[in-house]
Amino acid sequence: MISALSTPDVSVIVIVFNDAERLPRAVQSVLDQTLHSVEAVIVDDCSTDGSFEVAQRLAAQYPGRVRAFQLPENSKGCGEPRNRGIAEALGTYVMYLDSDDELELNACRNMVEAAERTGAELVSGLSTQIYIDTRNQREQPWYRWLYQRHQVLEDVAELPDLFVFDTLSTNMCYRRDFLLDNKLTFVKGLLYEDLLYSAQAYLAADRIALIPNQVYKWYMRQNVAKADKSITNRRDEIRNFSDRIEIHRRIDALLAEKGKTGLRRHKDLKFLKHDIPLYLREFPQHGPKWQHQFAELSREYLATIPYDVFDECQPVHRVCAYLLIKEDWANLLPAIDWLRNPRKTPMPLVERDGRIYFCAEHLDDEVGRRMLDVTEVGFQARSLGESMLRTQLLSWEPQDGNAVRITGRTVNALGLIPQKAQLSGRLEVKARRKGLQTFSFPVTSFTHQGDYVEWESTLDISRTLRPLGLVDTIWDVWLNLGVDKQRTRPPLSVDQLDLDGVFAARPRLTRLLADRLEPEVSRPGHLAFQLTAVGPAASKGRGLLFDLMSGPVGSPLKRSAKRVLQARRDLGAADTKVGWYHRAMTRMPVKKGLVVFESHLGKQYSDSPRAIYEEMRRRGVPFHAVWSYEGTKPPKGFPKPGKDVEVVERWSWPYLYALARAEYWIDNQGYPLALRKRPETTYIQTWHGSALKRMGFDMAEYRMQPRHKQDEYQQALDRFDHFVVRTEHDVDTLVRAYRLPESKVLRVGYPRNDALVAARREEVLTGKRERGPVAKELGIDPARTIVLYAPTFREKAPELVLDPVAFAERFGEDTTLLVRSHYMQRLAVPRTLKGKVVDVTDYPDITPLLGLADALVTDYSSVMFDYALLDRPMVFYAYDYEEYAGAARGTYFDLREAAPGPFVETQEQLFDAIEGVRNGADADAEKRRAFASRFGEYDEGRAAAQIVDRFFGPAAGTQQKGQQA
Amino acid sequence: MSTNAAVGTGRDVFIISNSVDELGGVTTWSHQLARMLTERGHSVHVLGICDTDTPADLGPNLPYPTTTLHPGKVPSPFHPRGVKQRLKVSGYARNAQREAAIRGMKTKLEALFAAARPGAMIIVTQVWAMEFVRLADRRNIPLIGMSHESYEYSKDSSRFARVKKYYPEADRLLLLTQEDADLWILEKLNNVGFMPNPLPVWPEVPSKRETKTVACIGRLDDQKGIDMLLDAWAVAAPQAPGWTLKLYGRGEDEAELKAQCTRLGLDGSVEWMGQTSDVPGALRDSSVFVQSSRGEGFPLALLEAMAFAVPCAAFDCAPGVREIIRDGVDGLLAAPGNTAELARQLVRLTSNQDLRDRMGEAARVNVARYSKETILEKWEELFALLER
Repeated sequence: MISALSTPDVSVIVIVFNDAERLPRAVQSVLDQTLHSVEAVIVDDCSTDGSFEVAQRLAAQYPGRVRAFQLPENSKGCGEPRNRGIAEALGTYVMYLDSDDELELNACRNMVEAAERTGAELVSGLSTQIYIDTRNQREQPWYRWLYQRHQVLEDVAELPDLFVFDTLSTNMCYRRDFLLDNKLTFVKGLLYEDLLYSAQAYLAADRIALIPNQVYKWYMRQNVAKADKSITNRRDEIRNFSDRIEIHRRIDALLAEKGKTGLRRHKDLKFLKHDIPLYLREFPQHGPKWQHQFAELSREYLATIPYDVFDECQPVHRVCAYLLIKEDWANLLPAIDWLRNPRKTPMPLVERDGRIYFCAEHLDDEVGRRMLDVTEVGFQARSLGESMLRTQLLSWEPQDGNAVRITGRTVNALGLIPQKAQLSGRLEVKARRKGLQTFSFPVTSFTHQGDYVEWESTLDISRTLRPLGLVDTIWDVWLNLGVDKQRTRPPLSVDQLDLDGVFAARPRLTRLLADRLEPEVSRPGHLAFQLTAVGPAASKGRGLLFDLMSGPVGSPLKRSAKRVLQARRDLGAADTKVGWYHRAMTRMPVKKGLVVFESHLGKQYSDSPRAIYEEMRRRGVPFHAVWSYEGTKPPKGFPKPGKDVEVVERWSWPYLYALARAEYWIDNQGYPLALRKRPETTYIQTWHGSALKRMGFDMAEYRMQPRHKQDEYQQALDRFDHFVVRTEHDVDTLVRAYRLPESKVLRVGYPRNDALVAARREEVLTGKRERGPVAKELGIDPARTIVLYAPTFREKAPELVLDPVAFAERFGEDTTLLVRSHYMQRLAVPRTLKGKVVDVTDYPDITPLLGLADALVTDYSSVMFDYALLDRPMVFYAYDYEEYAGAARGTYFDLREAAPGPFVETQEQLFDAIEGVRNGADADAEKRRAFASRFGEYDEGRAAAQIVDRFFGPAAGTQQKGQQA
Repeated sequence: MSTNAAVGTGRDVFIISNSVDELGGVTTWSHQLARMLTERGHSVHVLGICDTDTPADLGPNLPYPTTTLHPGKVPSPFHPRGVKQRLKVSGYARNAQREAAIRGMKTKLEALFAAARPGAMIIVTQVWAMEFVRLADRRNIPLIGMSHESYEYSKDSSRFARVKKYYPEADRLLLLTQEDADLWILEKLNNVGFMPNPLPVWPEVPSKRETKTVACIGRLDDQKGIDMLLDAWAVAAPQAPGWTLKLYGRGEDEAELKAQCTRLGLDGSVEWMGQTSDVPGALRDSSVFVQSSRGEGFPLALLEAMAFAVPCAAFDCAPGVREIIRDGVDGLLAAPGNTAELARQLVRLTSNQDLRDRMGEAARVNVARYSKETILEKWEELFALLER
């Protein structure tokens, strides 16, 4: 225990205003600190609820550890009490704590240790927001990314994000003499005093230490009624904003004085990205006076921010700030809608000189064009189905308490809705809780007005909508709009429209639960209905029910409901499934003739498994096929389920059941590693490509694994009974890297490549290249030259490396570029390039595309080995070869030397190489043939046939069993 | 609590491990710390939970007492699964024995803690030991827990969950490096600090780096990754004519590794030296040191090699490794598991006398920051902090 005379290590200044109830908890968190030499200095801001008496009682109870003070009159802020606390504090270090929060128990020890070890004047740690009104007390770390590790800053400019974002004063520990020497106090009479205080402290400190430890527990509520909102959360008073601007001005002055222009820039950027949007989100709810004052204040302040800071913002923030300065309300409202719903297409948009602009206004001005350019968002690449077209409610006329007539308009962005299009639609009212009912109301008329489509409908909501009454309190409204054969489903933005009227509701369960539906505006600003109880019977009934549920009857009910839900979740959990698979399913007899197919982990119906499957069908082999797919429904191209073919979801019960009982597994990547294969099942692993990059145990990460993990992986690999190879290169690389015995190697070539070998043969024979049905399917003129760009998958999506517009400009006349990328990193292909650049990422199987292409552009993808069989030109666009090959993983051979075609690193070089291909230059023909025979020696066009002969042909059965050892 | 007692006559320090004398790094380390603290004037008591099957020879006349809390073995707990197991009487008997053992240990520990003077400290070096120590009433004596391995290595083991479960109660959990400590802090343990291992002896005579020898000292088992070292050496040896790789140590994988060596055609340039009792001799006889481990904490082998002015090449498998070796300054690192890169680093060192000399001398200077005196000072600071 510390005596009153000695100097404590830390004084924690606990401020309180009318919070007698929680104050003891806060003080206890100080007393319980693992660092013992800590005192609590309570400062009461002249409370009226007896907080000061509680404080005095604590002081009496813990003499020498707790002291209590009171301000003579209420200061309406946090600054004054803290200033008083500093004046009274005795500790070497000082921390601040609010009466409704707590310190983490090791906070003081960690702070002091860091301060002493580093000599820092200011130590900052992690604050955690804890939502006390959520079921599991949800925790949200405050700017975790700043607090990942211990670090020391000699100048806050080394970490501008700290200065800009973490502007609290409560998660910090200050050396007291540092505060006194620099005369740091909280400013009086302004909100956001923390912001200025932390800025002053950061700038004054010669050394700042950051620790990743949690130090502060910041208790919050998720749902706060307006009156309860803490002082700074009340953004509806203009003073709130004007104070914020004033604080910013003072910080700017300070930065200017210290010459910290870099920090100023970061702060400006944050102002545009966070501060302005924070207020704009609530903008539509405010009255015209507030809106005007807000715009005035913003304009003045924004004028101090240079334009090139705007350029760094995302378009949405730039557009909002600019329209705000211009007080262009008509265009600002859609911009705010976009801010609140980033996936929306908010405006009809304007195209000029190949650029897309937010609106037609302000474009005669150069600054306006700069601010309103939204080309980079890629609206132009979205189809109707991919666009969420802003749909605005125009009028709202309640009819006799049962129905409401509404009109609205939907933006026609960049002409997505043609004048002559067939329009159809309905309004859908859907319970927000998943899996419940939906009700539809027809749209009675459409009017196409160029930039907008106007529509009207009557929701006879009382008669049609029948809620359950218990779990479906909130109902969202969507417009389901059909344009010819495409559909889009936007919600209805309310903007500033007044929604009046109350509608009778007839719950299916009982009208004692609820009797009215009231319109409301959802958080993102959309129309919704809420089920309420207004009449005496209903409000009593509902009240009774809620009392019951929170009382002694409710708790066991809720508990068992939770248990049922948990059991349902457990049943779907992978562990449970794997358990059943091993303990029960694999003990059932094997089903003769059951073959399970999978390609690329169920993502496609493609590749060698498909080729084998189709060969078996062609031969009329009697078998029962099961194809697996990834996702909730089979992707494009999967076979129609029928009497001898099933299509099952990967990891579903039927999938596991099929795998457990199958006679054959055929796939190209790997069935779930956790599933053992029973010895009676034969696993034919066709694999999905020869290797350039190191694989399996040739990869450092697998090599580094401890033995038990390596054994686990090896066990999964040992499930393969046969491993298909197309070249001895595969045997030297894949087979060795997966540590497979020679007896498992199946030297037949890839079944998927049979088609390519056949195509090549046909071409040599007839001297003609057949386009086949694929060209038609993709809408490509068969007379054009077709180039396929198929790069490999990268962990990090690269920035645009091939500009489709530039391609079309140079080659668009007679050449089409097919782009096959990965879902995560697809190029945005503008619709204006139709027929010139085609995104074929969604095309289920790549083999037909290879057959279609007159030339291939790739980097390191294994399609190079397959395409070589066609003996057509290849270009290697390896703009990041050093990075790729030099990375820890390494390659099996140097592509730069082996590449049978131009090896280029810039778009310029690539285009020149394509030019060469178009002109028929083919300098690498010989090299390519050598490449094809080196990497495809077994690809002779009979791979599928050989496999089917061997395993499913007349002589099978006897033979394959012997091969298994 | 008064702090004066500790200064004059030293503190009572309890160092508690799974066993007093189990063969391995933790035992070496804890007895070294015990010796250092004793020399400083503290009263150290080394405790073990139970006996071990693989005892190390600690030598006669330890300058501090040792106690095994439960001579023999502590039975592992019996968690019946299924009907058949539930009927197993022996299982329940085992649990009863276990509980009796725990009660006995608890009584002994509490008696020791009660008799301790103010200013005492408890250091628990291993997770398993912690499971028992935490049950005893320790009367406000600060408890320091330790984890002698990297965060990543813990993560692949059951110790990860156990550390998270048992260590929040400790006053401090010490990792070997700041980087490891920070990773544990992100797992929401807020009582984490770090303490590097000390260098056991300071050699007066370093290596002259005159032999064409690359040395590796470590058990021949999976963790030390000798299989990867052989792969790397197969690439490096042809570029390092005349050089020999000397492997000191024995272990369960010896036969397998020797077969690999023969298969790679390295019998001419690899020497299997077996376990050595003369580590200084081995290091003085070498010019380059190599480590290819899959996992490490704060590898003593590297510290020792550097103290002998032998430059090291190692896989950067843990924060402890990159903390000790400053890549390119006093040693060379390779990406974990990248045998080609390790081979390249070996070739750089074997082919360049200048580089060897420069890095070797830098290593000897830099590694002094882990001297006994420096580390002991850090312990004293920690004790003081935990008392404030």
